[in-house]
Amino acid sequence: MIKSIKDLTFEEQMLPGTPACAGCGGLLALRHCLKALGEKTVIVNAAGCFTLLCVYPFTPFKSSWLYTAMACAPAGAQGVRDALNILIKKGRLDEKEDLKVVVLTGDGAAYDMGLSSTSGAIYRNLDFYYICYDNEAYGNTGFQSSGATPFGSKTGTTLPAELNPLGSELSKKDLFEIWRSHKPPYLATISPSHPVDIANKFKKCEGIKGPKLFIAHSPCPPGWATEPRLSAKFAKLAVETGIWPLKEALYGEVKHTLIPKKFKPVEEYLSEQGRFAHLFKPIRQEEAIKNIQERVNRYWK
Amino acid sequence: MLKVRFHGRGGQGAKIASRVLGTAAFLEGYYAQDFPLYGAERRGAPIAAFTRISKEPILERGVISEPDVIVVMDETLLDDPLANPLSGLGKEGLVFINTTHKAEDIKKRYRIDANVLTLDITKISLDILGKPILSALAGGAASKIVRLKETSLKEAVTRELSDITHEKGLIEKNIEASIYCFNALPSVLIKSNASHKKSDVITMPFEAADISSPSVTIPANTPLKKTGNWRIFKPVWDYELCTKCMTCVMRCPDGCIRVNEEGFPYSDYENCKGCMICAEECPAKAIRKEREVHAW
Repeated sequence: MIKSIKDLTFEEQMLPGTPACAGCGGLLALRHCLKALGEKTVIVNAAGCFTLLCVYPFTPFKSSWLYTAMACAPAGAQGVRDALNILIKKGRLDEKEDLKVVVLTGDGAAYDMGLSSTSGAIYRNLDFYYICYDNEAYGNTGFQSSGATPFGSKTGTTLPAELNPLGSELSKKDLFEIWRSHKPPYLATISPSHPVDIANKFKKCEGIKGPKLFIAHSPCPPGWATEPRLSAKFAKLAVETGIWPLKEALYGEVKHTLIPKKFKPVEEYLSEQGRFAHLFKPIRQEEAIKNIQERVNRYWK
Repeated sequence: MLKVRFHGRGGQGAKIASRVLGTAAFLEGYYAQDFPLYGAERRGAPIAAFTRISKEPILERGVISEPDVIVVMDETLLDDPLANPLSGLGKEGLVFINTTHKAEDIKKRYRIDANVLTLDITKISLDILGKPILSALAGGAASKIVRLKETSLKEAVTRELSDITHEKGLIEKNIEASIYCFNALPSVLIKSNASHKKSDVITMPFEAADISSPSVTIPANTPLKKTGNWRIFKPVWDYELCTKCMTCVMRCPDGCIRVNEEGFPYSDYENCKGCMICAEECPAKAIRKEREVHAW
């Protein structure tokens, strides 16, 4: 088990120069995931912000990368996995040269459009990794509301106005529990502010055959209307306020990997983000803030 | 007809600048057209925006390939072959460049035959707005260059920004900054190169899929893109204070921070985008931020 960030590997699997925004929280999470996965991977990327990481003729990855449409990355992963298995069976690929198949999607694909193909892949017990970078809206196209958008968030399609002072009135889907109900061998939530936790979680599920799923909370400076320098801070605050619980489920059994000793009030996390600013200015919407705090309290009870 | 092209980086405000100019012209009774053009890339990537101003109805559509005035909101774009901000500029044309350098030095350095005006509008925005958001400032500069009135600029900034923010103070500061740029520049008589050229139709030959479809076989080559020119501030380490805790190394989204032989972190400035997470997170406060000026 890794204890400190000093023990994390300095080996990088993804190099700089990507087109991702400055301060992208999802990119930071991905960087640590790939560090933990090592060199022998093939990434199957659903349409989203991270499609842009590989824009011809450039790629930041040392490994292979395949692009699929938004809804079908897990189906693409099935094809890649099957092809690798056949190559090994026919003796055309040494078993030691086998690759880990990694699906990479945003929350739009994971929570909404690609949910059915993910469900199918988990059901078939496909041997793959799934990394979802969850910035809580369709960030690539102008931050429209997705199934991952939390209650009270302003998005491109839930602009707060007189008739709808809250922004998004819907609540974030609990993707962790949706996935867990399929009984995959391993799934976890991660945060870019906790790289040691990421490394340990990948270590824990190494060698397990079947779906290994990760949801990474991903601060998004343009969408959340926050300064790029504060991305790590907001990732940390989400954990410390209890809004983003760090947990894992090994064969269905849920364990929290970090329980804050003292929970910070959610207001600390909300008030500094542009997407929640309407809850505080010009009129403080006490009811809504209380509602968000109560949801967190209820979860941790 | 007067054709103005803005070049900026995603997030800097080139699109709004083109709108401010278009609205100001519209308020003075001209026909105006404005629109942005950007690729799939994100904040920091080069973008262009266009404004056409005319006494007659504007029937021309599409990008402006031969502008009369070019506004370059980030000097580093001049070195970017993909952005190529000076393309289509005639000798009669005019370029405004946001830079710390003087116009004559810029002309020499980038071999520009056309007229050049310069002003460090990044500094003005940092001083007045506290943020490097240049939309109202570049719009103000362009309005002066094409000889619009101060009153219409004021109204245009108010109108355009009211769509984005309700913060009165912020809009007022933007007006102040915009007028400052307006007054800091001379107005210039521009000869419009109004001729409209028809563009040739390009036909693409048929190619088999294995030739025509993109396939990259070189691993990890994005460092060649050198995203370092996105920066407005750069992180600078003070090794006297650094405790080698490795927090900055593990917090950099792009993985730009490496460790030297003595175990101290340093940044790959060729690609560091200047997000400043490292400086924010450093527990020893050993990283300070320095305004990035384009050094030759």
